[in-house]
Amino acid sequence: MKHELKFTVNGHPYELHIRPKTLLVQVLRDHLGLTGTKRGCSCSSCAACTVLLNGMAVKSCSVLALQAEGAEVLTVEGLARGPELNPLQQAFLDHGAFQCGFCTPGMLMAATALLRETPKPNKDQIREGIDANICRCTGYNSIIRAVTAVANGEYQEAAK
Amino acid sequence: MMKDFEYLAPKTLGDALALLEQHGDDCKVIAGGQSLLILMRQGLVAPAYLIDIKGVPGLATITFDPKEGLKIGALVTHRAIEKSPEIRQRYGVLSEMERRLASIQTRNWGTIGGNLCHADPAGDPAPVLMALGATVTMASTQGPRTVPLEDFVLDYFETAMQHNELLTEIRVPAPAPRTGTVYSKFTVIESELGTVGVAVSITLSPTDRTCGDVRIVLGGAGPRPLRAKQAEDALRGKRITDDLLKDAAERAAAEAQPISDINASADYRREVLKVQVRRMAAEAVSRAERN
Amino acid sequence: MSTYSVIGKRVRRVDGPDKVSGRAKYTFDLVLPEMLYGKILRSPHPHARILSIDTSKAEKLIGVKAVVTGKDTLGRKNGIWRRFPELCDEEILCRTKVRYIGDPVAAVAAVDEDTAEEALDLIDVEYEPLPAVFDPLEAIKEDAPQIHEGVELNINVTRHIEWGDVDEAFKKCDYVREDQFKCSSQAHMAMETHCAVASFGLDGKLTVWTSTQSSYYVQRLLADMVGLREGDIRVIKPATGGGFGGKFELDSPQFCASVLSMKVCKPVKIVLQREEEFTASKRRTPMYCYSRLGAKKDGTLLAKEIRVITEGGAYTGMGATCLYLTGFFSSFPYRYPSYRYDGYRVYTNTAPTSAMRGFGAPQSTFVSEGQLDMLAADLGIDPVQIRRLNGMVPNHEVPGQATVQSCGLPECLDSIDQHLRQRGKLPPDHGIGIAAYGFMSGGIFNWFDTPYAFSAAIVRVNIDGKVDLFTGACDIGQGSDTTLSMICAEELGVALEDIRIHAADTGICPVDLGAWGSRQTLMTGNAVKMAAADAKRQLLEFAAAKLGANIVYDLDIKDRHVHLVDRPEKGFSYYDIVKQAIRGKDGEAIIGRGHYTPHRKGMVSPAYSFGVQAVEVAVDRETGRYKLLNVTTAHESGTVINPVGIEGQLEGAIMMAGGYGFCEDQPMDDGRILNPSIAEYKLIRSLDMPETKILEIDTYEPEGPFGAKEAGEGLTNPTAAALGNAIHKAVGVRINSLPITPEKVFRALQDQKQ
Repeated sequence: MKHELKFTVNGHPYELHIRPKTLLVQVLRDHLGLTGTKRGCSCSSCAACTVLLNGMAVKSCSVLALQAEGAEVLTVEGLARGPELNPLQQAFLDHGAFQCGFCTPGMLMAATALLRETPKPNKDQIREGIDANICRCTGYNSIIRAVTAVANGEYQEAAK
Repeated sequence: MMKDFEYLAPKTLGDALALLEQHGDDCKVIAGGQSLLILMRQGLVAPAYLIDIKGVPGLATITFDPKEGLKIGALVTHRAIEKSPEIRQRYGVLSEMERRLASIQTRNWGTIGGNLCHADPAGDPAPVLMALGATVTMASTQGPRTVPLEDFVLDYFETAMQHNELLTEIRVPAPAPRTGTVYSKFTVIESELGTVGVAVSITLSPTDRTCGDVRIVLGGAGPRPLRAKQAEDALRGKRITDDLLKDAAERAAAEAQPISDINASADYRREVLKVQVRRMAAEAVSRAERN
Repeated sequence: MSTYSVIGKRVRRVDGPDKVSGRAKYTFDLVLPEMLYGKILRSPHPHARILSIDTSKAEKLIGVKAVVTGKDTLGRKNGIWRRFPELCDEEILCRTKVRYIGDPVAAVAAVDEDTAEEALDLIDVEYEPLPAVFDPLEAIKEDAPQIHEGVELNINVTRHIEWGDVDEAFKKCDYVREDQFKCSSQAHMAMETHCAVASFGLDGKLTVWTSTQSSYYVQRLLADMVGLREGDIRVIKPATGGGFGGKFELDSPQFCASVLSMKVCKPVKIVLQREEEFTASKRRTPMYCYSRLGAKKDGTLLAKEIRVITEGGAYTGMGATCLYLTGFFSSFPYRYPSYRYDGYRVYTNTAPTSAMRGFGAPQSTFVSEGQLDMLAADLGIDPVQIRRLNGMVPNHEVPGQATVQSCGLPECLDSIDQHLRQRGKLPPDHGIGIAAYGFMSGGIFNWFDTPYAFSAAIVRVNIDGKVDLFTGACDIGQGSDTTLSMICAEELGVALEDIRIHAADTGICPVDLGAWGSRQTLMTGNAVKMAAADAKRQLLEFAAAKLGANIVYDLDIKDRHVHLVDRPEKGFSYYDIVKQAIRGKDGEAIIGRGHYTPHRKGMVSPAYSFGVQAVEVAVDRETGRYKLLNVTTAHESGTVINPVGIEGQLEGAIMMAGGYGFCEDQPMDDGRILNPSIAEYKLIRSLDMPETKILEIDTYEPEGPFGAKEAGEGLTNPTAAALGNAIHKAVGVRINSLPITPEKVFRALQDQKQ
């Protein structure tokens, strides 16, 4: 039997009817067409599917969509304001903090959660903050540089 | 492939327990689901009914009072434990353990109760909580019961909980003065399940380095977290010296029942346990002296 | 020499905005109207005869639209060495026999993934299990089971490289050492698993969107396998989530989705599950290596002999190239007066091994750089010094094989030497090991037997001055779209934002062999530069009259300014000349063409890049656990086109190659990979990643565009070797098998005590 799911994604309210076994990532990608959120494994181990659920980073492949009832979800598609990329996105561009880009949405969301919790993280805190997120291309250090640049306020203009 | 199931989301503990009673073996309880959903996706677990207790009120609080000690609701997330100032202050070992548990994402959604009920022998919370002398309370329509955590975890992925029961609370006694508790998991890469884990809690006599109460719990060293009782006996009542710790570590390694797998041979696990027990015991002593 | 306006600048990637906003569409994300979802049934046996396949129950399942087996194929055998039919040995959908756990036997298309998966369970395959063999040293024995008919001793390919009189040279050596090594496997672990959407239309034409390193290879190989003409197949590469050598052959999702789509005339999408990716896509080649190295007392290397037996797995794939390159790069980066290599690739009943970033060179570098350090220690010579003494220099001839033109190895060694001195005395149980390496800038070999140029490009200048660049090059994340756009902009004299690249779509782009062998910057770069120069020349023809230049070569365009080279202030806008030129050409857009095929450059590659890496570790003597602290790389890749891209390649290579040395492995039991999930496959994550430092050395490669050469795979070569050397420096034990696990270090330390 299908169940109703009412929740908010990137500020838009949605009402859906879904099979209970549907995972949050499936709702986002398959039902809402928000394919920015990726899936890289089937065992909750790569964090490519990271989104914010009520402000917390979670793996959307490991959350039953119905558990997001009433919640606010933020995905990578919700970061930019119209044509304006947010500071973190700009820093990723400038620091080459991605290559193939497949892990990038999850990485951006993990970093977003980190900066909300710890606005001025040191290097070790950044490493911890993104440790769940596998990137096979960059070697992480460019990502750490990008997050550091944002934390240092180098992109304050973009934030306005 | 995940099989379809009927989704039930009780609004109270009573409703949850009634549903458990009603559906018996056909149902599974989900809290954060960080372990369960993996098993369900692999088709290893395929319940007809899934009872979602994440929304059940009253099970997600952390309280402390000096008499009763620490009470952690079963639905408290790992992250909440990690971040709790109360826990950080009085049970630092719990926050430290949580900080290295799985990933931030998993800790944000996964619950302490779910972790204990999953009973993965490589899990981190059980050894630490056992070293702290924790008990767990289970509820059912017949009423609650409380057992030491040691008696709760039985075997690989197996607990003493009956099908109609729900884990509701974990209690940790207030630490005695001059007690030090530490935990460390040994991994190859930083974040992964431990090859082995070692939790040590030592209470020193009020006046000197004589070991009073002691608990040494080994993770990844058998089908369930293992109390290294002979090692504990070797320490209890004795003045702590380097040689004594070494002796206790040898005993703990001998008591362990590790297996060989792709991560390490049984033999190597023993060797690492030997090192880790000695180091953790020494660290526990030095913390005890500071407390 | 003029300074550059575009190249060498820190620019944002051209695909960047889409990738950081979640808008980039990968094959994984594609959904087409009426699209079906496919799944592949794979063999549970390492070696078995297929007696029968009954698909009737699966076909009856509601929602299933097609089930195919080997009987629905033409029965052809796929292989990328098209010139050598005996090396085309993979049916992809097996007809009579399976040869590894994971070999495909059937495929299903259904209305959704769950239904397709359910249908797989309903297919009855009757197997007759056959004796299987997993270790190449066993497979090469007389009585071993035969994996491919007619292949004696299961020897799939042999390679021999020799120059000088090796036996005589060994006699002249003051010192000779012999060592054995074992190199392990490694998973590519691209974040996007292999996937394809195939759509066969009623017009008889097939379109395939796929995550690939070479849309041309997929097009050509699919044509062979499904019996269509090349022109009836259009392969489009959307954004691609990594490749690392694992995605340039025809793979099971591409083939099975195509066969299914041709049966139902609807789009079919197949995405490999991560577990399939681990077990049934290809992987790095494990090797047993024996190496003998001889030198004079002063450290001058006189002779080297190396024998390698590799675990081929069930099929050839790119294994033959890998075997050759292992032998070739075993001599790198040194000047051996005499050298002999014998390589044997042996079939086994394990997942096929093939190309992976470094292409045999990370293995050979682990062996040769480890052994060189041992030899240097035995002779009491400093590791940097022995490398200086024997290292390659510019214009070095590898006898019968290759000519090295630019070579910055001596400067790289100096630079690392300085780094080591700066680090000074290290804390106890810390150690820094070094390894030198070299790598090619694309392969010269044409085993694929293409009649086309290896790279080609078309540049179209439109009326508003905007430029469309068409190339078959495949950006799989390494950044070729950006690098090639930069080359185009620089040559044409416009800004990077003037370029719009259209890449890797066989329907509209000229042929390019794709992203492998670190070939795109040099080869495609040359083609793009030539195409841009061609377009520019056409524009300048119109400018010549206006500026009164003697000949067109006196003119140039830079920063959108057309001018006389000698008098840059005299000139006018690029936009004006574009308008005039197009008007003057009957209204046709200006089209420039370029191509590149290496020739007269030996057998291997037109150019080589070099470097030296220093890895610092700290070892816990009691447990053998160690931490990678710092990786410093002195590196040269000719002119740096895209500095941000090079940093990324370098740091990313350290994650991958450090993982190869440190923790990545694919242990097996009777042909079954025991850790086929990311939860069990250990790789370097951000907390494990060492600090990295790059010491860039300037060189200029005459064969490369603006002097550029390889900067992709070569960086994967030194890390495992330097790590092994670092462990030795730190605690005095040497581990000659990969990966260097804490348990191995612990055992060696135990042995050392005794």
